Amino acid sequence: MADDLLVAEGLSKVYFDVIPTPALTDVSFSLASGEFASVIGRSGSGKSTLLNLVGLLDTPTSGSLHLNGRDTAGLDRVARARMRNTFVGFVFQFHHLLPEFSVIENVCMPALIRGEAWNAELRQRARVTLDMLDLGEVAEKNANETSGGQRQRVAIARALMNRPQLVLADEPTGNLDTENSALVYELFRKVNLEWGTAFLIVTHDPTIAQQADRILEISDGRLQRDVAVPGVSAAADEQARS
Amino acid sequence: MLSLRIATRFLRTGRGQSLLIIAGIAVGIAVQIFVGTLIMSLQATLLETTIGNASHVTLQNVDEKKPIRYSPALQRGLASDRRVRLIVPDRVLSVIFSKGTDSAPISVVGALPRDINAIYKMEKHLVAGRMVSDPQDVILGKSFATKYRLSVGDPVLVVLPGGSQQKLKLVGLFDVGTSAVNDRIGFTTPVFPRQALGLGPDEYTDIQTQLTDPFASTRVIADWATLEAFSGVKYKDWQVESSQLLVGLQGQSSSSYMIQVFVLVAVALGIASTLAISAVQKTRQIGILKAMGMTDATAGAVFLWEAGILGVFGTGLGFVFGLGLLRLFALGPITFTIVLDPAFVGGSCAIGIVVSLLSAIIPSRQTSRIDPIEVIQGG
Ligand SMILES: Nc1ncnc2c1ncn2[C@@H]1O[C@H](COP(=O)(O)OP(=O)(O)OP(=O)(O)O)[C@@H](O)[C@H]1O
Ligand SMILES: [Mg+2]
Repeated sequence: MADDLLVAEGLSKVYFDVIPTPALTDVSFSLASGEFASVIGRSGSGKSTLLNLVGLLDTPTSGSLHLNGRDTAGLDRVARARMRNTFVGFVFQFHHLLPEFSVIENVCMPALIRGEAWNAELRQRARVTLDMLDLGEVAEKNANETSGGQRQRVAIARALMNRPQLVLADEPTGNLDTENSALVYELFRKVNLEWGTAFLIVTHDPTIAQQADRILEISDGRLQRDVAVPGVSAAADEQARS
Repeated sequence: MLSLRIATRFLRTGRGQSLLIIAGIAVGIAVQIFVGTLIMSLQATLLETTIGNASHVTLQNVDEKKPIRYSPALQRGLASDRRVRLIVPDRVLSVIFSKGTDSAPISVVGALPRDINAIYKMEKHLVAGRMVSDPQDVILGKSFATKYRLSVGDPVLVVLPGGSQQKLKLVGLFDVGTSAVNDRIGFTTPVFPRQALGLGPDEYTDIQTQLTDPFASTRVIADWATLEAFSGVKYKDWQVESSQLLVGLQGQSSSSYMIQVFVLVAVALGIASTLAISAVQKTRQIGILKAMGMTDATAGAVFLWEAGILGVFGTGLGFVFGLGLLRLFALGPITFTIVLDPAFVGGSCAIGIVVSLLSAIIPSRQTSRIDPIEVIQGG
């Protein structure tokens, strides 16, 4: 437990709209460093809520969350912001790129927020990430002059820019065709294997869910199932090597 | 500086909007500089014509029928006051000018040529002949001379209060710009009026003074009134004599301030509302940036930078516009000189930038309060 990246205990979230809506109820699980897990469940079951809580975008109504051994309840807004910036990388369901900036500027944004200077060294690092995602030739284009598939990959490059220990992805392939979806999965796997980055991927795509090391199934806000998928890691290993 | 980087990018991508705000600030600052400078120049010219060639504080004997003694103690008292710029003891004599069947009352002011020059800038205003030097010399206004067909070298016959006549010699003509002086005053050396009035060598009808700061006159008089050397002296304060004019100037200044304040308020409201709209338009972007770890302070700073940049460019442009307007205006037929006050222009520019920054406070707060989760959930 000690070296677990993420430990959630009794995590609950109730939205107080017109009537109180329990979106997540008593979810407990932990994620180890380098683990590759998928989150599945029906629409409205609470997957995004879980991801937003884990990514410190939202605060739980009750329960506790430890990230990298630290209790997140004691963090102030600035500390939470720093954690979002350096510890996690977020790939949102909608790419959420900044239309005022070029692709490479978008990718560098987390590093700039961290306080790095806009210099050749930073751009070089962004280029490496972009090349890895096969985005080399659109680097200088404006973010909204790219295709849907490219945008999603730019968003992934951006999430990886600060080399986070944990990547949270909310339906990263939701808007992509099968071919692009497979590509995104391969990328995640590659990063997971090469850099030891842990992944928590919300998906509706059963193929992707099945290719994870572990599947968390949410139903009506509760963690219904938490199962390991045997042998995938080894297979993926081989795939990566070939 | 990430907030600055984002601010400039937002401004550049919303170019039309940015240029509109810059133009708004520029017009405001231009009007501010133009109106302010115009009124100040007008007032400076008015003041200069009123008191530039006149006494600020005039000393006379309390007993109006008696001359004032320019005693050594009084000389020292005036000379040692550093607020006094100029001291002119003079003798004023009312005479009737007479030529053939024509006659006209004039005042003959007798003082040292050097003093006449100092207070009336006679060297500059002399249009013919020369300055007085001999006891019989007199200089008159050019318009007066024309009216009575006098030219330099002619004799000037005057009738003294007692009825006796005196012949003076016209040696020069002047034009000081005010008819009160041109048509009614002649200047001579102190000798002739002294003899005519029967005064002692240190006796004068009045002592005129000019101060470095004319508006200190009341204060200066109050100080002198307490001194032994000034006992038996009565004062004429230009501020009292010209109170009508001063009230007029006051009114002008207040209306000028009103215009300036309203212009600045309009500018501030313009920037504030446009920036607030822009902040709403950028809610999504700010939310995304915050989701990636940008702090509330940095997000808020984006709009402060925007306002600062708009303020600097708008004010700079307004400065150029303002000077251009003044230059254009100076080409027209105006009766006063436009003088730029660097402190006023600098102050106006500083105010322009400060007002821009102040009007960013609300949009900046709005921005720092944006919660990323709302943007992320909103899709
Ligand atoms: N801001 C909110 N206010 C009120 N209710 C909310 C809010 N956000 C989510 N909910 C509710 O919480 C529940 C869980 O929502 P969540 O977005 O986590 O579902 P999800 O599993 O991600 O669904 P999907 O697969 O459609 O994205 C839903 O019933 C939703 O209506
Ligand atoms: Mg969702």
